[in-house]
Amino acid sequence: MNKSSWIDKKGFRIAAPIVFGILFVLFWQFGGLHWLLHLRAYDFPLPTQIIDVFATQYAVLWKHTVITATEALVGLIIGSVLGFGVAVLASWFPQWGYGGLALMSAINAIPTTAMAPIMNNWFGRGMGSKIAVVIFFTMAAMAINTYRGLTVLPPFSLDLMKSYNATKKEIFFSLRLPNCVPSIFTALKVTTTTSMLSAIIAEFFSSYAGLGFRVNSVLQEGKNADGWAYIACSAIVGIIMYMIVSVVERRVTKWHASQR
Amino acid sequence: MEKKPVNRKIVIAVWVIGVFLVWEFAAFAIRHILPIDTPDTKLPYFHGVVITFFQNFMDLAASSWVTFINAGRGFLIGTAIGCVIAFLMSWSKAIEKIAFPYLITFQMIPVLGLAPIVYKLVGGGDEAKVAISALISFFPVAVNLLDGFHSVDVQRRELLYSYATKKPITYLKLMIPSALPQLFTGMKIAAPRTITAAILIEMMGSTAGIGVKILYALYYNGAGSLLFWSCILAAAILGMLSSVVVSLVERIVIPWEKAMLKKGEA
Repeated sequence: MNKSSWIDKKGFRIAAPIVFGILFVLFWQFGGLHWLLHLRAYDFPLPTQIIDVFATQYAVLWKHTVITATEALVGLIIGSVLGFGVAVLASWFPQWGYGGLALMSAINAIPTTAMAPIMNNWFGRGMGSKIAVVIFFTMAAMAINTYRGLTVLPPFSLDLMKSYNATKKEIFFSLRLPNCVPSIFTALKVTTTTSMLSAIIAEFFSSYAGLGFRVNSVLQEGKNADGWAYIACSAIVGIIMYMIVSVVERRVTKWHASQR
Repeated sequence: MEKKPVNRKIVIAVWVIGVFLVWEFAAFAIRHILPIDTPDTKLPYFHGVVITFFQNFMDLAASSWVTFINAGRGFLIGTAIGCVIAFLMSWSKAIEKIAFPYLITFQMIPVLGLAPIVYKLVGGGDEAKVAISALISFFPVAVNLLDGFHSVDVQRRELLYSYATKKPITYLKLMIPSALPQLFTGMKIAAPRTITAAILIEMMGSTAGIGVKILYALYYNGAGSLLFWSCILAAAILGMLSSVVVSLVERIVIPWEKAMLKKGEA
């Protein structure tokens, strides 16, 4: 499969997306998007206007970003531990534990928008209710992913362990647990975004701080560029969290590289 | 493990009953054992919610249908665009090199944060729900399908290449059928999210849909009302229904995949 070789050059791989990105931003800046999508200048801010918001209001942006990021992070950690616990229990009792996993899938399919009002009832309008929403959804995603890692084992490995007369505990610690490490990271990559998203959606309704709250309120005041700046903040946090997970993954699962 | 295998349907049934009992007991507990303030807003009796749900069934079903159909339209559009993008990226290496970093980046972004902006641009009508549903389902579909194209066995590709098979034929006979399971993985991730997205737009202000019902129930009947809880129940069912529908379509389109999975598990 000989393809034209310039495409495979490292330079192209790095330069092409950057050039494309710059062209896109320029296109946007000079009204191309407005023209293409029939938007009015008032509705849709230009990149320079959004950057201007960052330059002038960084303190407020930072404050609300920290609040949402804290909710997401605390919820993510608690939810991941709980979800992993559920997956371990489900794999330990394969017959009946399966039902617990089905329950997790059901939770996973519940719209975040339906869960948020209930959690507001339970834990009030502060950070607690947002953390609770995040916990629910990260727990479900973590349980589903790690259960696969704990139960879908390399062919014959379980037979081998059994032929050694390995106990359930030994099978768990030397086969299932190492086998599910990559799945933990797969799950974390999904749940970092999920956690930010759940926190923001929960903030859309009944709260007085955080990115989701701010996006809604500044848009109602007609400050569109501010709204985009808050969206950009949430995107940046999402990307940073994802990157941290990727870096840790590369360090931890080095031994697993041959399998991936 | 060689013990008598319990039928999975029985397992699920026992769990459903278990969850029901736990819920009922918890609702009883916060009223009579450890009384708390306003128990109705925290946890009503589940049977009460179900009864209200069926009393208002037609009403709830009609609203849910509006949400479902708009989310579904957006889902289909988003899936179609996602397929086209994944297809182009797999077809042309140059496009892939340019677009891939963006595809991955967008996956890390909480896209639903854009909902208020979409709402601001097109209002709370059907267009907004369709637009945001399409936007949200596009990324998981594109990423997963591309992943499916990538993981097609190289030896099989090379075999077809050695036969001088034309590229369209290679896609038709090998690439697309092999990547179908991954496509459905992406669709399964996307489906419940589109429901979330549609409800979100509705809750920001719209004229019809289950999100509107939730808001109305909150305003007129209060957070402790059974009607509010049965609206939430309807929304939850809607989310689950969406992923069930995708699974059913999957089973019809690629029946062989399910059979292989069963073999692998045995």
